[in-house]
Amino acid sequence: MIHKLKDRDALILVGSVLGLGLILWLMALPLAALPAPIGPAAQQFSDGALTTIELTLWASVFGLILGVLAALGKRSHLPPMRWLADLYVWVVRGTPLLLQILFFFLALPAMVPQLRLSEFWTAVIALSLNVGAYNAEVIRAGINAVPLGQVEAARSLGLSSLYTFWDIVLPQAVRISLPPLANNMVALLKDSSLAYAIGVVELSMASSRVQAESFQPVPVFITVAVIYLLLTTTFTQFAAALERKLAVGKR
Amino acid sequence: MRDGKPIIHVEHVRKSWGAFTALNGVSVTFKEGEVVCIIGPSGSGKSTLLRTINQLEKHDSGRIMVDGIELDNDLKHIDAVRTEVGMVFQSFNLFSHMTVLDNITLAPRRVRKWSDEKATQVALELLERVGLSAHAHKYPSQLSGGQQQRVAIARALAMQPKIMLFDEPTSALDPEMVNEVLLVMRDLARSGMTMLIVTHEMGFAREVADRVIFFDHGCIVEESTDPQQFFSNPNHPRAQAFLKQIKHAA
Repeated sequence: MIHKLKDRDALILVGSVLGLGLILWLMALPLAALPAPIGPAAQQFSDGALTTIELTLWASVFGLILGVLAALGKRSHLPPMRWLADLYVWVVRGTPLLLQILFFFLALPAMVPQLRLSEFWTAVIALSLNVGAYNAEVIRAGINAVPLGQVEAARSLGLSSLYTFWDIVLPQAVRISLPPLANNMVALLKDSSLAYAIGVVELSMASSRVQAESFQPVPVFITVAVIYLLLTTTFTQFAAALERKLAVGKR
Repeated sequence: MRDGKPIIHVEHVRKSWGAFTALNGVSVTFKEGEVVCIIGPSGSGKSTLLRTINQLEKHDSGRIMVDGIELDNDLKHIDAVRTEVGMVFQSFNLFSHMTVLDNITLAPRRVRKWSDEKATQVALELLERVGLSAHAHKYPSQLSGGQQQRVAIARALAMQPKIMLFDEPTSALDPEMVNEVLLVMRDLARSGMTMLIVTHEMGFAREVADRVIFFDHGCIVEESTDPQQFFSNPNHPRAQAFLKQIKHAA
């Protein structure tokens, strides 16, 4: 019974990744069959969705790394590290994402001209920093939830603090943090629509353009909402299956 | 067994948290191969003594030497001592995301740099010794408390320590599981392991101890190398009162 369930989860894991790929790759085909204004703009929707996913995946990876680093910073024995991590989380969570994106696009190159990146990578950086701050809190809570007794047991066996973190704390912290992390990723997917403000042609920008050309907001925005729902559903299915798969040995 | 050479020196060790003094200038020496049971009321400092010996708690003052290594501020010394000293906790503290086998092999692989094959072989031998061969691939949550504690003992033994510390190893167990753990410990005591045991199992202490130490208010108030004599007729009034109360409870 348990094995069957695990196999099912493995299937969902693989299925949701393949599903996401298939959606992105083949989406234009069914859309093209729809009447105007959707049919003729099928490729625009498809390209926009691809850009949305690219933004989300890059920002997820960087945001996870930033989240772990900031969580460790917040728990550091060195006060400057704690201050730095606290400052980062405080600023990012206390200001609007739209402002952060505009800041990296407009203000930063004005101060440091060498930091002028493409719209896409500017958006990736702003989104990564944003989700990283939220991930930091989630990961910190996960680390705190690992029983201290297990850390003491590891140390009493002679394991270094690095091995103790890597072998004992991190795997369990990730398991505990996974549902809220997945939540942050889904929010990130939707928040990536704000990249639209600096001219990244992601899904929202694409739909806005199609709407502006056709003057038919209802079919356009329903289509784009359905595409977002499909994308977020593959994410949540993947996260739920991963959570069940990692739940081994859980009390 | 009692004339082994000294392996742990504790000299004038103090430890306090705020106004609470857990260890109030404790001095004691433990010898190789000796089985010492440490008893006393809760909060008397007996667990703290064990925890300072492998530096899960840092002592405020005094000296602790384990197998010729002084526990000072040098982290290398602390790690060196910890690889020679195994510890078993009241609440087992198994790594809950790892199988029984991985729990046991982790430290030998990481710290002793053993190969997977060697670590696994040693782990399986130890599981056999604690009577849990059939459970190697289970997770801690699938085991009873007594089984978990036996795994914890096997995990500590896998590092091939010279000394084993037991911090109330049976206090968190259901009564019917106490014996299976004591059985393993008795077996270990017979094999010549140096053991320091904080316990409330007076029958067990009486049976296996080479020496009994009675703690009260952060001090050793009575020591005896004759457990039979100590348990039936202790000298110190506080030891008398403590043992009397325990007998009433039993």
